[in-house]
Amino acid sequence: MGSDIMGSGGRFNRRSTPGTRRAWLRWVPAVAAPAVIAAGVLAGTIPARAGDPLPAKTPAEVLALVGGHDGGHKPHSFSGTIEQSSDLGLPELPAAGPSSGPASAGGAASVFELLSGQHTARVYMDGKTKVRIQVMDRLAERDIIRRDSDLWFYSSRDNSAAHLTLPAFARDLPLVDPGLPGSPPPDQSVPDGAMPATPQELAEHLLAKVDSTTAVRVGDDVEVAGRAAYNLVLEPRTDATLVGNVAIAVDGETGMPLSVQVTARGADSPSFHAGFTSLSLEAPDDSLFTFVPPPGSTVEELQVPATGWPPGIHNPGMMITPDQLDAIHQRPDGIHQHPDGIHQDPAPSTVTGKGWETVVEIPAAAAGGTLAGSLLKDPLLSQAAVVVPGGRLLSTTLFNVLITDDGRIFAGMVPPDRLQAAASAVP
Amino acid sequence: MPSSVPADVPGVALRPARVPRGSGFSLMLSELRVLFARRRTWALLLALAAIPVLVAVAVRVSSSVPPGRGPAFLDRISQNGLFVAFTAMLVSVPLFLPLTVGVVAGDTIAGEANLGTLRYLLVAPAGRVRLLLVKYAGALAFCLVAPLTVGVAGAAIGAALFPVGPVTLLSGDVIQPPEAAVRILLIAAYLAVSLAGLSAIGLFLSTLTVVPVGAMAATVVVSVVSQVLDQLPQLEWLHPWLFSHYWFGFGDMLRQPVLWDTFASNALLQAGYITAFGALAYGRMVTKDVLS
Repeated sequence: MGSDIMGSGGRFNRRSTPGTRRAWLRWVPAVAAPAVIAAGVLAGTIPARAGDPLPAKTPAEVLALVGGHDGGHKPHSFSGTIEQSSDLGLPELPAAGPSSGPASAGGAASVFELLSGQHTARVYMDGKTKVRIQVMDRLAERDIIRRDSDLWFYSSRDNSAAHLTLPAFARDLPLVDPGLPGSPPPDQSVPDGAMPATPQELAEHLLAKVDSTTAVRVGDDVEVAGRAAYNLVLEPRTDATLVGNVAIAVDGETGMPLSVQVTARGADSPSFHAGFTSLSLEAPDDSLFTFVPPPGSTVEELQVPATGWPPGIHNPGMMITPDQLDAIHQRPDGIHQHPDGIHQDPAPSTVTGKGWETVVEIPAAAAGGTLAGSLLKDPLLSQAAVVVPGGRLLSTTLFNVLITDDGRIFAGMVPPDRLQAAASAVP
Repeated sequence: MPSSVPADVPGVALRPARVPRGSGFSLMLSELRVLFARRRTWALLLALAAIPVLVAVAVRVSSSVPPGRGPAFLDRISQNGLFVAFTAMLVSVPLFLPLTVGVVAGDTIAGEANLGTLRYLLVAPAGRVRLLLVKYAGALAFCLVAPLTVGVAGAAIGAALFPVGPVTLLSGDVIQPPEAAVRILLIAAYLAVSLAGLSAIGLFLSTLTVVPVGAMAATVVVSVVSQVLDQLPQLEWLHPWLFSHYWFGFGDMLRQPVLWDTFASNALLQAGYITAFGALAYGRMVTKDVLS
């Protein structure tokens, strides 16, 4: 029996010489499999030109589409996944996210954390008053849940929750509104006559306003989250800013901003990108907007700050949505045009320069002398800030923040020397 | 005498023998029976089951864990025993599960070769490809049973030592214990899929040698190397291609609603590894000289 088997083995050996060609053939799958996989991956990365191209539109028409009055089918109910990635040249943070701190006390570190690396969030929205944002961390999650005037923050890392009752004035001010960035909230009942009547006029009015500082054009159509979108490109007309261009993808069907990317001057890839990776326009399950603090969690009751809500600053440790980002990026103009818009601030900041060259100064005394100090106390920030003549500089590819030795803070989307010049010019 | 052997007799050498349908199934059954009747397999599963027991006992005898310290979910165990299962599965992902899977997958072909039984298996009307498939299916069965053991043992010891109640998900939503059991099964399934790629690598390595320990060690080393590479920020472009990249993504099964994206990406990635290393194992298996 054994000899039979040895015999077969021997036969195998004997036949292996003429069989070499066939043995070679048998390795074909081993070569073909990776090749097929590679081909599949390549085919997947080629952006699919889906369906018909969008009808050509002028920037004003695209803006009007964003305004949502165009046809009136702007979705206020959707669920989607947003991915945000930043490559601002800041030191990489551990992927674990903020090390500690309750849900309410995000502070500077959380903002800083959002500025580096990659983040994914799911956003659910049903109407204007029901919102849920889930920021996905590894084996953890941070949630914002809003139903009407109840606003909850939850952090799974330490099982802490914070609750806020929105005051009446903020109730109509949606936390996340895919509305027109930098323009009045679209569905506000502004009496006609006070404002341009049609969205088209509104858009042209707005374009005319920014025209002195920014060139607005519509680039090639892009595809975001499987939807064809207009690509609204804003380019600063000045060389004195770090921003090369801002590209906003506007959904061709609904006018919803789908993604924002900010590219630094001279850079090939965007320094900041936030956008939907998937989007469904169906109304999410209503139970998603119900939040009851889980057993064993610590609950903190928060007070609404009297000065209102600058988006993205008081939102503790949370995602900046493309819409909020839009708002922020439109803000330089807004501040410049309406300096009284920030008069409520107990620490009056002064603004120099205009448009993209705006430099914001927060005086030391007004900030109580504590802001700069507390910023530098943060180990992450102090590590990232380098010592320059006159203070410490937090330098990124898109903006710079200078904390002078006497505690003043200068910030702007400008090169560092402009901040230093501003610091030395203002005594 | 070799000359007396007719040239067209289907042999064990290169051509798989024609076998009646259904013999693959019985071969599969016998392979599973052999695998799960082995004392070594039971030892591996017992070692895995010991992890949640250790975790639970350690939490039980020590003072309460402050939130945010230690592995995720550890601080929840004293309030809810079901979290033992989650913690134990989390703890076993980086080393223990790959270790046991490496032992089983590395043993598939090399173990038979080492015992001198591979040639008998090939003499039996099975064919090399079929044998390879059956061996891989056996390894996959272990991939499924291993995380399941951790999860079930964790839930059992947790229920024995701690109160069991509604489970708080990462999203802050609360689910009842029956649904939590479903989530434990989901995580076990996720981990089983995660380990399938490593199994395929182990199967290929196992065809290269007749020393099973070598294949086992190599498989475990590969899994450790992959995880180390996944930690290096300089190799960020490589990360989505590492088979261990989504191993910790099972946390997405604990969100409300369940985030299936990671599951899908993970399954796709593992399918790629199975295809690539399965093809390599096929190439090696059908060309190799089976002398033992």
